[in-house]
Amino acid sequence: MDSTRAPVAFGRWDVPLLFGRLQQPEAAERLRSLASLCDLMRDPERLYRTVTGGFLEQLQDLLKDEDPSVRSKTCELLHLVTAHSIGRQAVLSSSLLPSLSQLLDDSSSSSRINALRALNCLALLPAGADALLCLVPKLMLKLQQQDGEDEDDGDDGDEEEVLLLSTISCCSRLDALPALASDGVSLLGRKLTRRSPEVRREAAASLMELSIPVEGKRQVCEGAVLPVLVGLLQDEDVDVRTNAAGVVMNVAIITAGKLRCLDLDVVPVLLDLLSKRLEEDERSKALVLYSLRALTALAEAPDGRRLLLQQLPLLARTTEARHPDIRRAAQTAVRVVTWTP
Amino acid sequence: MASSSHGHKHSNGLYTFSSRPRPVESSSKCREPSSERTQYNYGNIMYDRRVVRGNTHAQHVLPTTAQPDPAETQKQMIKKRAAARKQAWKQWRLRTPEALQGRKHIDVQTELYLEELSDHIVSTHAECQTDAFLDKPSTPLFIPAKSGKDVGTQIEEGELFDFDREVQPVLEVLVGRTVEQALLEVMEEEELACLKAQQRAFEELRHNELAEVERLQEQERRHSEEKERRVAQQKEVLKKERETAEKIAARAYTQQYLADLIPAVFTSLRNHGYFYDPVEKDIEMNFFPWLMAEVNNTLEKRYIAREMLDAIICDVTEKRLEEFKELDTQSARDWQV
Repeated sequence: MDSTRAPVAFGRWDVPLLFGRLQQPEAAERLRSLASLCDLMRDPERLYRTVTGGFLEQLQDLLKDEDPSVRSKTCELLHLVTAHSIGRQAVLSSSLLPSLSQLLDDSSSSSRINALRALNCLALLPAGADALLCLVPKLMLKLQQQDGEDEDDGDDGDEEEVLLLSTISCCSRLDALPALASDGVSLLGRKLTRRSPEVRREAAASLMELSIPVEGKRQVCEGAVLPVLVGLLQDEDVDVRTNAAGVVMNVAIITAGKLRCLDLDVVPVLLDLLSKRLEEDERSKALVLYSLRALTALAEAPDGRRLLLQQLPLLARTTEARHPDIRRAAQTAVRVVTWTP
Repeated sequence: MASSSHGHKHSNGLYTFSSRPRPVESSSKCREPSSERTQYNYGNIMYDRRVVRGNTHAQHVLPTTAQPDPAETQKQMIKKRAAARKQAWKQWRLRTPEALQGRKHIDVQTELYLEELSDHIVSTHAECQTDAFLDKPSTPLFIPAKSGKDVGTQIEEGELFDFDREVQPVLEVLVGRTVEQALLEVMEEEELACLKAQQRAFEELRHNELAEVERLQEQERRHSEEKERRVAQQKEVLKKERETAEKIAARAYTQQYLADLIPAVFTSLRNHGYFYDPVEKDIEMNFFPWLMAEVNNTLEKRYIAREMLDAIICDVTEKRLEEFKELDTQSARDWQV
């Protein structure tokens, strides 16, 4: 028998028995029961029974346990629970969120990471993102703390950052104001220069979400973030490029953004991206779209229009692309470029 | 002791013996008709004289030699005889019962079957002695006799079950279930991946359209702002024009107005008396008030005098009235009297 797992009863009694075992005083016993529960929770039927049986409240006490491995296992269990929608709803309706958010400050990194994973899964649901909006300042604070640590953190530090950033971007999709209020733009701008591509991708995605409201656009313009973004347009990772192009697209909508982008000479870069990616696979379709939209926005400024009038043949070629969205975007771009007041 | 040692199989009962155990029969020297040696004459072994009882340490052990001591033998024989006699006497005491009425007992002697009755009982001496401490021979292997039919059976090589054939369904089930579970999980993962891809596509589309919408919004805003500005500009221009026209009109009007301003001014000033003759003014200012004041004083004096006169007249009149009243009353009183 596997000594790291408690024995599992048969049939309907498996989950209640294991939850009963969780009340025992020795930490090793609890750890074993938690390990068995983690295995069992991958089955949707059992998950349903657990959730409707109301066993999740018992996890509240375990989240405050002294033993760090017990805490981390509980978080892993919660992460598995949030993988299904019914589990997510149950977690949202129960009072587990505050304890979970307290665990973000935990000393052991595995419990932090698991708690972040659970929160990340929750944030994918709009209701969950709504509930997590109040946590956004705290998450930004954690990001700042991460920033304070030195550059060569292990993979754990990177994973924490990635999870934090993706949670923040999901919440900001719903409402970007809390993140903006906690000085999100400058913080994320610092993250754009990290080594790991996932961190950059997530940071760029968060920036894209943040630059949707007007306030965000203005902040991005004023900050020193734009040059970094333009640099990121030539990054190796496709997703990073896509997200950076998205941010540029959003920023170029306001006039100040247009001017700054034109200052930074972003048009050739975007045209370059377009011409390279005309043969599309799924992931570069977004890149093409964003670049086209950015160019459209830039074409509304007279300088941009002048530049782009010269490049009209390239844009005309894009109109014959296969995907209907790209075609539409290209047509809009051409229309805007050739507009006269 | 007769021991029937034929290998008698007793099919009833649990045991099979080569010599069935029998209880010890009491030895009676005086044998009754031997055919009537019934089985009921078992003596109680506890009261059997042959059983050695008590401490056997000082007892005589029967000598192992076959020939007994003559004196011993004699003594034994005497003892035996005495015992036999006693026994016989005891037996003979039970005589035949009296004859019934009308009958008689007759002694009959069967001559053919004469027997010599003597005191001597034909006895054979038999003795037996267990062998001294021989080792117990090994029990022979007990092979029970055959009962029933001989049936043999043997499991041949492939008869019981064929592992490969039997294990097939079990294996199929196991592998099938595992593969099924794995397929389910893979399908789930694929579904999740599909959902994620869909979500991503949706997100991209959303961002796209959002950007487009915002751009158009921005454009609209800019256009409307531009329009507003232009309109405002136009208004400004119009206003300026109007103002200019008004200014011109006002200027013309004022010019015209100011043309005959000076004589009008002079006239009005003159009318208001700003151009004055100083002497006249002086007389008016200084002389007349003094004159009037003096006139007033004089008149006042006259008035005061007149008032005084009036007052005096009034006093006098009142006094006269009082006096007349007194006179009246006096006369009235005089009348009454």
